Amino acid sequence: MDELEKLKTDWKKNRDNFPRFSEKEIYAMLHRRSSSIVKWILIVSILEFTLWLGLSFLLKDAKSVKMIDSYGIDFITIPLTVISYAIIVYFVAKFYINYKKITTTDNVKTLMDNILKTRRTVMIYIYVNLAYIFISSFIIFLIIINYDSNFISLHKKSEANGNEAMFYIIYIISTIFFLAVFVGAIWLFYKLIYGLLLKRLHKNYEELKKIDL
Amino acid sequence: MGTQLETSFVQQLQENQNLIHKICRLYTNNDDAHKDLFQEITIQLWKAYPKFRGDSKFTTWAYRVALNTAITLYRKKSKTVNTVEFDNKLHKINQEEYNYEEEEHIKLLYQAVQQLNDIEKALVFMYLEDKDYNEIAETLGITEVNARVKMNRIKGKLKKILNP
Repeated sequence: MDELEKLKTDWKKNRDNFPRFSEKEIYAMLHRRSSSIVKWILIVSILEFTLWLGLSFLLKDAKSVKMIDSYGIDFITIPLTVISYAIIVYFVAKFYINYKKITTTDNVKTLMDNILKTRRTVMIYIYVNLAYIFISSFIIFLIIINYDSNFISLHKKSEANGNEAMFYIIYIISTIFFLAVFVGAIWLFYKLIYGLLLKRLHKNYEELKKIDL
Repeated sequence: MGTQLETSFVQQLQENQNLIHKICRLYTNNDDAHKDLFQEITIQLWKAYPKFRGDSKFTTWAYRVALNTAITLYRKKSKTVNTVEFDNKLHKINQEEYNYEEEEHIKLLYQAVQQLNDIEKALVFMYLEDKDYNEIAETLGITEVNARVKMNRIKGKLKKILNP
């Protein structure tokens, strides 16, 4: 008799003295809060969406944005704003559709697939946002070069001193540095949050995939 | 106490709670974690209950949700605490019925299963519950052939753990 058969014989005897819960205790359990990873993913994702949205609202009042507004370049800023809202609407809708697909009565692999798909939606949203920041800051960079009076006078000064190249280098390096710190902080945040949250799921998902190889 | 739906759910779960305890036993290794997982499974079962039509047995429906919760949804709160002590406690059984040696062997078997990974534990659980390979494969989302192959490997792995 192999080991598992022995275990099965014991298993079927049902003789474990588990702490049996009364109906009252089970009833109380129904009303406790779940702490499943799906719930955490939902909370974190909602926070992410509101954070990005909040950021764009906060920046509306920022000095630099007002300054850009004063250049009178609506033909650039309005399409940029519309695009950013279209992005968020698209991703929130996609997230919601994927989230609704998560059901515990599915098979293990499908459930994991759906959770990871939901997660991926938010990840792609973040990547798109980062790309958006890169592109729009490049556009703003071009705008500043051409429209900003301070910049133009600084530029003229450096031109007169003969260190124009240096001026551009400093400007570009500081812009890249700022963006790198920003992206780095976001990356770290993700590694931490999702590393903790999805480590086990990833491990089990890989294990399941390995069986079917 | 609550709505009719709640009452019927609580009644059925109370009657069949052994199934959930068995899963908790495989996936946790101390009293607190056991209770914690039991609670999470109860919540997930309750959430899914409105869609349970009753055309299958409550236990047949429940074990899938319970396994999904244990493997995928549940977040372990604490790290490993003395497994042996817990196993001893669960095995306080009628000593007259069993000789000591056999009892020790069964205990070692349970400890060996505890060392398997989450997916392997699920296969073992369904095997112990007499599910056929078709159902095991369907529950996990793998092919039937691969479920058989994996099961044989698990048997080998258990043998190795027990006789290093």
